[in-house]
Amino acid sequence: MPVLEGRELRIVGFLCNWCSYGGADTAGVARFEQPTDLRVIRVPCSGRIDPLFVAKAFMNGADGVLVSGCHPRDCHYAEGNFYARRRLEVFKNVISVLGIEPERFEYTWVSASEGQRWQEVVTKFTKQVHALGPMVSVPEVSLDRLAALEPAQS
Amino acid sequence: MLDQLKETIKKALPELDFVMGWGMGFDALHATPLFMYEPEDVDKLVWGPLNIQNLATYLPSLKGKKVGIVVKGCDSRSVAELLQEKLVNRDEVVIFGMACQGTVNLTKVREIVGNTGLVEDVKYENGKLTVTADGQPHEMLLKDVRADKCGYCRFPNAVISDHFVGEERAPQVEEDTFEDLKEFESQSFEERRDFWMKEMDRCLRCYACRNACPLCVCRDHCVAQSRDPHWVSQQDGIRDKFMFQIIHATHMAGRCTNCGECERACPVDIPVLLLKRSFNRAVKNTFAYDAGLDAGATPPLLAFKVNEDNIKEKEW
Amino acid sequence: MAKYLKQDDLGSWLKELGKTYKVIAPVEEGDAVIFRPLTDERTLRIDRQATQGPKGVLFPACEELVSFKYGKDPEKPEKVTVDIQETVDAEPTLIFGSRPCDARGFDVFDNAFTKCSVKDSYYMARREQAVVVSLACTKTETTCFCNWVGGAPDGKGGSDVLLTPITGGYLVESVTDKGAALLDSPLLSEATGEHTAEAEKLLAAARESLREAPDFKCVPEQLYNLFDNMDFWEKQAAKCLSCGACTYLCPTCHCFNITDEQQGNQGSRIRSWDNCMSRLFTEEASGHNPRPTKAHRLKNRVGHKFCYFPDMHEGHIACVGCGRCIKSCPVALDIREVVTAAKECRLPEEETADD
Repeated sequence: MPVLEGRELRIVGFLCNWCSYGGADTAGVARFEQPTDLRVIRVPCSGRIDPLFVAKAFMNGADGVLVSGCHPRDCHYAEGNFYARRRLEVFKNVISVLGIEPERFEYTWVSASEGQRWQEVVTKFTKQVHALGPMVSVPEVSLDRLAALEPAQS
Repeated sequence: MLDQLKETIKKALPELDFVMGWGMGFDALHATPLFMYEPEDVDKLVWGPLNIQNLATYLPSLKGKKVGIVVKGCDSRSVAELLQEKLVNRDEVVIFGMACQGTVNLTKVREIVGNTGLVEDVKYENGKLTVTADGQPHEMLLKDVRADKCGYCRFPNAVISDHFVGEERAPQVEEDTFEDLKEFESQSFEERRDFWMKEMDRCLRCYACRNACPLCVCRDHCVAQSRDPHWVSQQDGIRDKFMFQIIHATHMAGRCTNCGECERACPVDIPVLLLKRSFNRAVKNTFAYDAGLDAGATPPLLAFKVNEDNIKEKEW
Repeated sequence: MAKYLKQDDLGSWLKELGKTYKVIAPVEEGDAVIFRPLTDERTLRIDRQATQGPKGVLFPACEELVSFKYGKDPEKPEKVTVDIQETVDAEPTLIFGSRPCDARGFDVFDNAFTKCSVKDSYYMARREQAVVVSLACTKTETTCFCNWVGGAPDGKGGSDVLLTPITGGYLVESVTDKGAALLDSPLLSEATGEHTAEAEKLLAAARESLREAPDFKCVPEQLYNLFDNMDFWEKQAAKCLSCGACTYLCPTCHCFNITDEQQGNQGSRIRSWDNCMSRLFTEEASGHNPRPTKAHRLKNRVGHKFCYFPDMHEGHIACVGCGRCIKSCPVALDIREVVTAAKECRLPEEETADD
């Protein structure tokens, strides 16, 4: 059993290749201490992030999702993050209706040089998700099937 | 008024392949889309609170033909949105509008009548609906059995039309305040999740919601049935069904005109419009935008501002 | 020999049967009525036709056929092993409250799954362990047309026991030996002549209330004749949305898809409902699609039910007239109208001959 079992949550991070992934790298090179809950998925640009990536992550059992791209007006592809900002903002306003606490999802901007800021963002977000605890997962089967499986498991 | 509409359609018909309206379906309670090819077909046209279908759904598949369409206020918004997205050519569609009095939600009628399969006769007069079923007349106010969307309707008259017949009608409300969403959100997150789990559990995956939606235009090429990318599996578990509804709603963001066809078409009455409404509210609050009002506007998610009005830049 | 069950004893009888069988019955869920395992928290609704029939009990919307797991041989890392487990999932099940039309749907399934040269072991295992207790219809709906396709409000085909609601209770008749075993309960008493007479009167009225059945003898031939008449089918399908509501609610539709759903090294091969109204149903790997439009697909749906299936199964029409495809169609497309139009459609050759 991993030592962090029960203490670690599943947080998915979508980071753009040019800024935030570099920022996370900078934080690592500088040996800033960070929580280990975050799993990073590198994407070419925050504009590549379909809000459905976030939804799918939650459906598949993520307890929190963090998206990070280049600062506005500083996108490697000039305007990718402007589109991302609109989509993610709308999506953030919607997830509460799905029954997901809005605090489980944040989007932010971190540049490649901001190792310190990356550390702060990850620490703060991880704390925020831990305050909510693990999310109740959406069953992969029907409710009747779930009810039939439960006694067998316990 | 209906006669005037029929006259107008008959006059325009020779120039058109056909005109879409509503006729009586298999019983007095169920209207059905009517495709009018000949003048005598026009005589079968009906107008009233039973005209529940949104005929704009057919338009994208009719490109290349020249067709007429009869619209309610909400339907006209779908047409405007389709024009805006260039999925329909303006010179290929002739729009006939009339003021809408609201449409019936058949599920609500069933709650009053008991079994709508036994309906023998329906009369509508002055806002009152009389449904005779199994020999028993049931009187009800349209106000009490109309679709929820009609309760917060701002556009009873066609927002875009070539022929508008009759008088315009005053809207129900000035502003949609999303009371239904507020009520839903008075529940805890756990209750909301449980609500969706329960509702999604009986989804058949028949995709009536998708195919009835006038703006779900991928139709035969939907990601829900794609193996690569594999957004949803073929399992009948809640996770995949819910994921599909999220996909549908997300793809409607900034485009949904709130016609409610998704929810109406659902054979097992899953309230899926609520998800789209939450997107509509977010789009309205963030970009002060309503879909399907201006065929010349750019949808907000296809545009950006360097400095956004309602998005905080450095909250996080 | 008929028995009588008091209305008040229905619950106790189902509880009693629940000891031997998993009881599945129509219950209220949201605004719909669907078949679910009967539990104390659920409300039985047998006063109106269920939104969806019980077909999923014997032919689930999705079932695992096999589960598989890939592994590596530690001795020979280049060798991949596959461990395959067959999943057979059948238990004694009692379907309560199906209508005679629903039960006849199982007859169609039997034709397709157990009476062909290749037998479907998954379906057969469930069918063998299932008992069907149906409820005769004393009221018929505007969408009902069981009499057009060989059924009746009190039809017995596919059922093991048939209940007829009468004053204060039910007349209970066994149809098969499997069903007769259920009637041993002390809760049931001998039916009197009055009971049977009342039931017969109610059922006669129900049969009477249905629209007169047209003669469908020439329909298969007409459908073959109309096969290439796409004008006809395009008009019939004009309002069709090409969704799958009709097929998934249909008690006889039994087409399926088989897919492998894999996550990491393990997964399962599942069988799930498919429907001919979907484009992907016939799309070939080359990209060619023999049924490219909704008109082609509607032609297939009607043709299969009223022509191709009867051809293969001794004239058995693959439609039971339950009317769900009409009632729940988002655009109220009426299959009766399509079949009638096909029957009455005069073919171009005939017209010229007459002229």
